[in-house]
This record gives sequence, structure tokens and C-alpha cells, in this order.
Amino acid sequence: MKKFSRVSPFSLSSALIRTLTASSSSSTTNFSLKNVTKSNFEETLIDLTNHVKAADFVAIDLEMTGVTSSPWRESFELDRYDIRYLKVKDSAEKFAVVQFGVCPFRWDSFKNSFVAHPHNFYIFPRQELPTDGPPYEFLCQTSSIEFLAKYQFDFNECIHEGVSYLSRGQEDEALSRLNSVYNGKWKNTNEVRDVPLTNVADILFSERMKNRLSDWHDMLLLNRSAALPSDVKSKQQFETIFFSMHPALRLNGFTVHQLKLIELVTRKHFKDLVFVRAYDESSFLQKLVVYVESDNDKINLMEMIKNESYQQARRKIKAAAGVRHVIDLLSAENKLIVGHNCFLDMAHMYHKFIGPLPSTIEEFVLNISKPFPQIVDTKILLNADLSLQRRMKKASTSLASAFSLLCPEIASGKSSDVAGQPSVKVEVQVDDMRSSNWNSGAKHEAGYDAFMTGCVFAQACSHLGIDFSYEKVVNSENLQKYANLLYVSWNMGDVINVSSGDVKEIPVMNSVKRRFLNISHPNIVLIWGFPSKLKASEIRKCISNVFGIYSIAGIYELDETAVFVQFTNADLAAKFLALKEKVETSDDSISVLHPLSKLLEGGKTCAAGYEIYKDICSSPISKVLFADQAEAIGIKWKTKLIEPEELTDKTAIPSPSPGSCRATKSNQSVFDKILYTPDYESNKVTNLCNS
Amino acid sequence: MQKRLFCTQAAIQIENTIKNTSLSKKWIIKQVKKSNFSQVLDEIKPHISNSDFIAISLQKTGSYSSPWQRVLPFDTPEISYLKAKRSAERFQVLQFAVCPFTLRASKLTAYPYNFHLFPRDELKIGMPSYSFACQTSYLTAMARLGFDFNSCIYDGISYISRAQESSMKHLPGNTMLRAHASQSSPAVSVADSIYIQRIKTRVKTWIKACKDSKGLNEDPMVRALRKVIMGEHGSRPCLDLDVCSERQVQLVLEVMKEYSDDTVPLLIPAKRGGTQGLRIVLTSSEQDKILFQKELQDLEEEQSKNVRGFREVIDLISASGKPVIAHNSLDDFTFIHSKFLSTLPPTIDEFKHSLSSFFPYIIDMGHVTKEFNRSRNMNNIPAASSFLRSRFFAPIDMDIPIKGTPDEMSEGKINGQNVLQLSHLFAKLNTIINRGQHHVISEDKILALDNFANVFDPYSSPLPENSDDDDVRISSGSLRKLSCDNMVFIWGFRSGLSTGELKTLLSGSHEAFSAEFDVQLVDKSCAVAALQQPGLAGAFVKAMESGGGCHEGGLKELLSEGLRAADYGTYKLACNMSKWDSNLADSLDQVLMSADQFPVDNSHGRSPYEIWWDDDTVLNLDDL
Repeated sequence: MKKFSRVSPFSLSSALIRTLTASSSSSTTNFSLKNVTKSNFEETLIDLTNHVKAADFVAIDLEMTGVTSSPWRESFELDRYDIRYLKVKDSAEKFAVVQFGVCPFRWDSFKNSFVAHPHNFYIFPRQELPTDGPPYEFLCQTSSIEFLAKYQFDFNECIHEGVSYLSRGQEDEALSRLNSVYNGKWKNTNEVRDVPLTNVADILFSERMKNRLSDWHDMLLLNRSAALPSDVKSKQQFETIFFSMHPALRLNGFTVHQLKLIELVTRKHFKDLVFVRAYDESSFLQKLVVYVESDNDKINLMEMIKNESYQQARRKIKAAAGVRHVIDLLSAENKLIVGHNCFLDMAHMYHKFIGPLPSTIEEFVLNISKPFPQIVDTKILLNADLSLQRRMKKASTSLASAFSLLCPEIASGKSSDVAGQPSVKVEVQVDDMRSSNWNSGAKHEAGYDAFMTGCVFAQACSHLGIDFSYEKVVNSENLQKYANLLYVSWNMGDVINVSSGDVKEIPVMNSVKRRFLNISHPNIVLIWGFPSKLKASEIRKCISNVFGIYSIAGIYELDETAVFVQFTNADLAAKFLALKEKVETSDDSISVLHPLSKLLEGGKTCAAGYEIYKDICSSPISKVLFADQAEAIGIKWKTKLIEPEELTDKTAIPSPSPGSCRATKSNQSVFDKILYTPDYESNKVTNLCNS
Repeated sequence: MQKRLFCTQAAIQIENTIKNTSLSKKWIIKQVKKSNFSQVLDEIKPHISNSDFIAISLQKTGSYSSPWQRVLPFDTPEISYLKAKRSAERFQVLQFAVCPFTLRASKLTAYPYNFHLFPRDELKIGMPSYSFACQTSYLTAMARLGFDFNSCIYDGISYISRAQESSMKHLPGNTMLRAHASQSSPAVSVADSIYIQRIKTRVKTWIKACKDSKGLNEDPMVRALRKVIMGEHGSRPCLDLDVCSERQVQLVLEVMKEYSDDTVPLLIPAKRGGTQGLRIVLTSSEQDKILFQKELQDLEEEQSKNVRGFREVIDLISASGKPVIAHNSLDDFTFIHSKFLSTLPPTIDEFKHSLSSFFPYIIDMGHVTKEFNRSRNMNNIPAASSFLRSRFFAPIDMDIPIKGTPDEMSEGKINGQNVLQLSHLFAKLNTIINRGQHHVISEDKILALDNFANVFDPYSSPLPENSDDDDVRISSGSLRKLSCDNMVFIWGFRSGLSTGELKTLLSGSHEAFSAEFDVQLVDKSCAVAALQQPGLAGAFVKAMESGGGCHEGGLKELLSEGLRAADYGTYKLACNMSKWDSNLADSLDQVLMSADQFPVDNSHGRSPYEIWWDDDTVLNLDDL
């Protein structure tokens, strides 16, 4: 903030100069970015195709209806990267994408500036096809919806007008289903079952229809040469029309059941009439009774209708793919994709537009690198490069903060070429409007966020010494070392290389990481289902009463029903689980007095090694409380011991320090003493300690 | 521009008294949002207490996650409840219309209100709901009718259930609570007495210091400093004491009894349950103490009123004890129970029991209208209304004497209308029944509304809205009773197979299918077959399990193609075990796989439950 106030006099004066020289481009222009809905999707797609083809890179951003389906699935510092992936997978599978921001950036060497085309697609997973397509439902996280509402997200526009989509997998499935239907059903046209008419109303109706049809039929034969009766009014139930050179009767306003009866009547009583369902020019399904000259004519007609309705259904499937066409475009053009902290975004894109997410992170990165071989995450760029880190001055690397720091001119709408900072110029073009000082200011709108990401990326590239006029951004060596790296877990600084599948750590600026010494997953035990009034500190006390005060390296609350306890070594973790089971299974009255009994009170306390968290995270069920979740996925045991071979796997187990051993011993004696002291006595001891 | 126009108009209160007798005309309903909620709450109170009946209608974000999870005609009440329970737990209510009305002869006086709801987390504690599901087809259909989602999300009223409110007492965010008198504490130990002594001295010194300083004419600077150091609660001095255990809280309260003339102890809640400390507030006199306690009480009430939000209305309806009229009571009341009362119990009997203590008298109009004509599907209100209009002459004079600004009185596009139509339909039925026209309806049964109280009709849940607008399902009267034992679930066939093809495939493969049988698709993955003779279903499933057994040919080939079968008990178990996969086939497979752990419950075999089988309810995938 201080920095800004110091700069402002300069920018004010330069603004003044600009006004004096009356340059028309100096004022900030605030036209809105390109919002894309059902109504303008097709025309926009054509324009976008040209922009993407010409682009140097394409920035993307998504807005979703939520991030985590339950509190215990939130991102924790001690998440292992494979578990982090399971959480991301769960999120992508359950929540919907409501906005998709796409912003192609093209370098214009004459103007020495980038030209950006921000697009904001409203997406809604509408059921365009009867059986295939997006799932029937999606989840909304209340807080995320509130967040969107805070930034004036237009839910009406999204639900009323949003463009739908099909993933590649769904489209393939729909097409194959279509093929099987058309090969199967059309073989036997006598599909409608011959239902014996039992209902009086049905019999009367059928009789009336029979008479009506036979009247029409006779009239046709009588007036063969003459013109067709033209006394029809548009809204009549029976309307005589021509259907591909055949006289036909269009049936309007009948119910499905009535149409079924008419179909039966036609088949039963009229050799030269056929009941068909066919699409008209405006692809509206109409029901017709058509007059045919001969059996051959009938077969030809049916064949034609079959083909047409097949083509119609195919077109419908292609159209239902909707926003997927944009993804197909990006992937086909092989463009560099730029996102900000975009691992979750990529998972969403894969799940919504390509196919079901694989069960492991390795498979996922392998699959995602095929359609998107070039991805750059600006968050990685800002954290990994030292010169950029210096420029960021230890500020937060959130998108908004990076944008205002690296691209102050664009962010504030004022151009100030002071302080000798080489700044990349970005001109925005929406339809026919162009501006080099554009600021719609609509933060947390996917289109604008994508634009900001692109600007941050362009500026960062310029700091890395990339000259856009001489080299393509994609090919630049300075950039290559950051390409295809994504943060799996921002908290942990775990980074995965999408092209190779390697996971490594990039130290994060201002990291809160390693607040608990070293996180070692084999040392962690997960405990849940304990009495609800028990606090983490009490659990710690409970365990350290048995294993010594140095036995626990850290305790972390997962939610109100579960805690992670990290022991100082894996051996202690295994011992704890064994002891817990022993205390639970023994029937001694003494076990009630065991220090662990406070933790086991209620008889619902469960514990297991860290691996169980992975099992539970991979379940599709999402209960709000962790203890309920464990029950819902069918965990019937109370304690799952850590197998010895599991321990030997991990070689880097730190041997218990002698200090902690001694502590354990000395505490053990205290424990021996209080084991037989009545409860209120021990209470007294604590009280004395406290006062 | 338009908005400004509204504002100027809003200044002038327009009397919106509408007399309306025709159904076709749009009625006007008062729309209630966050901004006018508290005012409406006062307004609706007398209407509810003076009403004869209260009609309700809910607009939800969805009702089922996949086709087989909606309530199907062949579901037993227990299964219907389990499905309704899942739906109520997952989906959200966006609008809740309440219409208290009075009925005098044929004059209906109605006060319709449409409440816009959103489960906003007002206290930032993950309540009332962390997340909720939306069914896309529901939202699309609502959008088509012009539903305003922005209005619900931006200005919706929040709420909290009874169970959540009572659990909240232990949660952070809730400011200080009045400490309630403690039970006499047991024998005092040495540690306790030391602690008590220490607290006593501290309190005594503090009170003395406060009282001493009062008389003095202090420098304002000194007074300000004192305020900072000593702390003040409002304008009254206070003392904060830290405690380490609930036991110490009790001890402090015990000590404070001695000074109860002019001090009030408050509990400071800890971040995660329990008490972190106590605040002792010193009042200047006994009158001041009473005043202070009154202030606290008002504050608490105001706070909990804000938190309860829309639930106030539910509480009002419940407290009034008036008969509540709904169209689909199982659906609506599972939602009401789970959102505003407490989590839903595992069985329908417990649910009925729990609900009856809040809503003793519920009339399901869907059930009533069905009773008028069994052969016709009258699951939507307009169909029932038009049926009644064509058969009976019972004009209703409808009066809506409700006032409000034009903004509030916009026509309720979807939900608001429903509640008035429901009231209207009820009035009409009531007139017909009272007039003694019931002999026309059914000869053997005396129709009285009392017969329909608290019936949670299991098989009248509406079928999904068909996309074909003119499609009113007309049953040909082929509804027949069938035992669960006669049903077989079949899956694993080629996708895209029609019922006709499936029937051809099955017929003759096993003796079960040698006689006449009926097949219907439940969803795209699974079909259900209704057999004529009891016992054959079981035999067929057994034959499938034993790998075709002696039945060469047909059955073996079907098995090798991956066909699977299960009886009704397995289906029931899938619902009981909450195996809600999107395809029924996957759920049934899972149940069969875990069958070793959970032996299939054959309780239905002992008392075979009968369900209604309608030959015409065929799910035609092409028609959808």
C-alpha cells in the first residue's frame, strides 16, 4: 500500500500530460467482457476459433459451485500428495462448473503489445439428452454460493441461459447407444405392443379414430387427381399436409396414450396408411399418418424416416457437446494453457469435458498431458523464480495480489512508465471494441480472472527475459523449466510434473509448512469417534500419560470428531494401536481406570494408521462429520493395527531419541502410581497444579 | 430505470385486495425476503392463530439423484420413506409458501405468503447446511417458468433447525451466556478450598476497588485508564476470571452466590465447546441488576430469533396446532423435519411419531383427490382441480385481503400459486364432502376429511414431469395388487434394450417366464418383472445363482451374457444400506457382493407386502 501512495504523484502527473496531449486512448474504458450463453454460443465459437489459432497462449479460469464436500476433505498441511489428489478428484466429481473463462493472448509486434480476447462462458449442466450427459445432480457448497453472490454472480443467467456440455466419454456413449437403438429397434417396426382394449373409453376412442381415418382415406382416393381438401385450420387435431411427396395427416394435441391407440388402429385396419414420428424443418417431432402407394413405397418411406431421424439425433448429440467444443479447440490447436494454481481447474476440465477421473494421480497426469501438453501455472512461476520473488516482495501470490503488483497499470487503469519497470502492454478486444486501458473490474468472474492470469503471465515472462517479438513464448528456454509443473498441494508445496509424473517439493514463500517439525506419515495415527466433549489437548494428555510427554510430535484436529496424532516415531504409533486394542478387549475392571479409558469412553473410539484416511477419502460418500463418514463407508472394527511389514517399508524412521525414552520410562512410573488412585484424587492433583 | 419506477410506486401503499373466483387468473401473493421478514413475521402471527387451516407448498432444488431413486409405484412405504429421506437430506428448499386461510360456507379467505429461503451460514459455523445438491432438470424446469434464483440466493432468509439450535449452545460464535444456577457441589477437597479462597479474595478486592472509586471525583483520564485495565461490560464494571475445568466454573459460581445481590456471572464460551472463563459484572443496585438481567434476556432472544430465521414460521404453525394441508405430505414433511426440526430417524414409524408431536394433523391432498378417482392419475393440482370442476358444482368465493408494496406483491410465479390452488382445491372438496355428495364418489365408504389425516401415501408420489407437455398419463385402469414376492429385478442386459426386446429375451428362458408376465424398465440399467404366480420369482433367482442349473439353453446363455437377477428383498436392502448408486444395477450388485456380511433380510417374506402394479407405467426411454 505504501508503495502505491509514493507512486501516485507520478502517475497523476503523467495522466495530466496525457490529458493535455489529448490522446484518446488514455481514459479507462469499461466495456464488459464477452459473455457467452446459449444464444450467442455458436457465433462466438467461430470467432474464438480464429483468436485461439492466432494466439501465443490461452489463459483459463473456472468458477465452481463449491470446493469441498465436507469439512474433513479440506486441504490440510499434512496431506500426502496422493490423498490431496483424492480430495481434488472428489471435488471435481461432485461440484459443477458455472463459469469458464477463456482468454487468448496474441503478441502484436507492430504495436508492441499483447491483444487479449477475454471470454466468459456461462455453463450449466443441462440435461440435453434423455439418458446420457452430465449427471442428474450436482452439489453446491453453501459458502461458495455465498461467495459467488458476494461478487454479484448472475445465477439466473447461468441456469436460464448457460451452455451445457458432454464429455468426450459421454458423447461416445450417446453415439454408440444411438447406433444400437437404430440397428435394433428399426428392424421390427411392430414395436408397439398389441394391447387388448379393455377400457370402454379406449374402445370408443379407437372406433372414432378408425372412422375418422377411413373418411380421410376415402376422400384421398376419391379426389386422387383433385387438390387435397384445404379446409384445414392450423390448430386442428387433424391437419392434411404433404410429407415428402406423400399426402399425410398431421396429428396435433393428442396424448401419448391416444397416439398409441391411433398407431394401433392404423396398423390394424389400414394397409396403405402408416403411422410415423418424424422431424420437420424446425426439428420439431411431429406425429403423422402417411398414405403410401405400395409396400415398396412404405419400406422406402420408413427407410428415409429412419435415416433422417438418425441424422437428427446425431446432430442433437453433437450440439449437446456444447462448451466441450472449446476444449476440443484448445487441445487441437496445441496451445500453451496458462492458469493460476490450476490443479483443481485441470481436474474439473478433465472430468467435465474428457471423461471420468482416474483413481490415481499418476494416471491422471498421464491422461491430462495428452490433450494439454503445455501447461504453465503462474503460481509456480511466481514462487519458483528468484527474480520474480524479489519483485513480489514477499507479498501474497494470490491472483489479485500478483496482478496489482506486477501489472499496476492494467490493474489501476493508468499507464505509468515510471520506476523504469519494463511493463508489457495489453490491449483488450471484445467484438469491435478495443482498448489499451481496459478494466471491467469484475473480479471472481471467470473471464476477468483468466484475463488477469494472462497479464500476470505476460509480465512474468518479460521479467524472465523473454522477448515476445523474437521468440514464441512456448519455445522459450527460460520458461521451459517451469512448464507442466502444477501444485498438487499449495500448503505443502508439493509440485507434480505433468509430463513426467514426478512429484517434488518447491519451497513456498511465506510458508506455514512444517509448523509441526517433520511430517512423517507412518508416524501418524487417526483417531475418531471419541466422546464429543474431549478436546485435542485432553487427547494429547491422555496419550502422553501412557507413552510420555515426548511421544507426541503434534496433534491436528480434522474436525470435531477426529484428530491426527503424530507420534515421534512409527514404533510408538503401532504400540499405541496395539495398546488401545488390548485395553478395549480386556474385561478387567481395572481397564476402566486405565489412562486411555477417558479416550475410549463411549465405546465408539476408533483408531488406525494414516492409510485409512486414504481409504475414507476415496469413498464417494460425503458425510459432514468424519466419524459419521467412517461409519457410512462400513468400517466395523475399532482398531486397525499397523502391520510390521508396513513399518519396515519406510526406511527413514528416526530412531527414538534417548531423551524421549527416558521420559517414557519416568512417566510410566507416575502412571503406575495414579493407576490405582481414585478419580477425584487425580482431579485434585490437576487442580493443585493449576492453581 | 424500471427499478426507480418501482421505488416511487413503492412509496405509495396500494391496497391489493383482490376478489377472485376464477382459477385461470393469477392470484397475488406476498413475497417475503430478508428485508421484510421481521415485519411479515408480526403480520402473519394473527393470521395463523385465527385460521382454520394452513396450506403449505415447497419449492425444492431437486428430488432424486437418478431415475430409480424417485419414489416408484412398486415401493413399499418403508422404501418410499427411505427415498424421501435421502432426498430431504440432500436437496434444499428455496421457497416455502404458507397460506393460512379460513373457510365460512363457500367463502375462502386466504393470506398467502411466499418465503424465499437460502441456507446462509449467518454465524459462520457451517449451519444450517455445509452443502446441498441440485437436480439439474429441476432447476431447468424452474428456470423455464421464470424462477428468480438471484432473489433466493441474494435475499433469501436463513434458518436453523431445532436440533441445531440446541447444539449451538456449545458452539463458538455464540456470545456470553447467562450462568445458570448450579446444583449443590459435592464434598470440597483441599484443592478446591484453596481455589475458592483465592477467588474469594480476588472478587472481594475487586468489588471494594470498584465501590471505592465510585464516590471519588476522578480525573476523566484516570477513569478511562481504569476502564481499560479493569474492563467494563457496557457501562458496568466487570472482572474476567480464567478457569481450567468445568469444576472450577461450578466453584466460582458457588462463590459468587455470596455476592448475588449486585453481581451477575456470565460464561465465556471457549473456541471449541466448554467454558474458557467467567465474567463477573458488577451492577450498581438490585434494580440495576434486574434491569441488566432483562437486557441480557432480550439480547439472547433477539440473537436466537435472528438465528432461527424462517424457523419462527414453522414454530408458529406447529404451536397453532391447526390442520396443515400439503399436496405430497411425505416429500414435504421429510424436508420440513430434516431442515427445521432435526435429522430424520431411520424408519417411517419413528418419523411419524416424531412428526406427530409437532404437526398432529396433516392432510395430504394428493391422497384425497386420488380417493375421488382411483383410475386417473391426479398427482398434480391443476389436473385434480379440472377434474373436480367437470364433475361437481361448488363455486368458491376467494378473498385475499393482503396488503403490501407492489414489490412485495408480485405474482408468485411457481410456488406461490400452488399454495393458493391447494387452498382452493381443499375448499372445494370440503364443500362437496359436507354437502353429502360423497355417495357419487364411493359407495361403500363415507368420505370424511378425518380419514385422510396423517396418511403418508406411499404410492402417490408424482411421476417425473414429462417433457412432452401434452402428456397427461392416463392409466387404463390396469392397476392391480401384487405381492413383492412376485417381483424380480433383472440387469446386466445390453444397454438400449427396449422392454419388448427384453420380454422376448426372457420368455421361455425359465419356467417363471413361461406364463404371462410383465416387464418394466426401472432405469437404463435395470428392469423389473412382475410374475403371475408367487414363488416363481424365488425359483428364478435361485436358478440364476446356481448358474442356470438344469435349465440348459436359454438361461445359461443369458447368464453368460452377464444377466443378473435379484428378488425384492435385495432391492429393499439396497435402500436400507444406503447404496444409492446412480444406476440401480450397480447398487444391487454391491448388495449381492456384501451379502455374506449382511444376510439378506427376509422379513418381507413372512408378511408379503402388497404393492400396486400399473401395467401402463412403462418408462419409455424414447419418450423422456
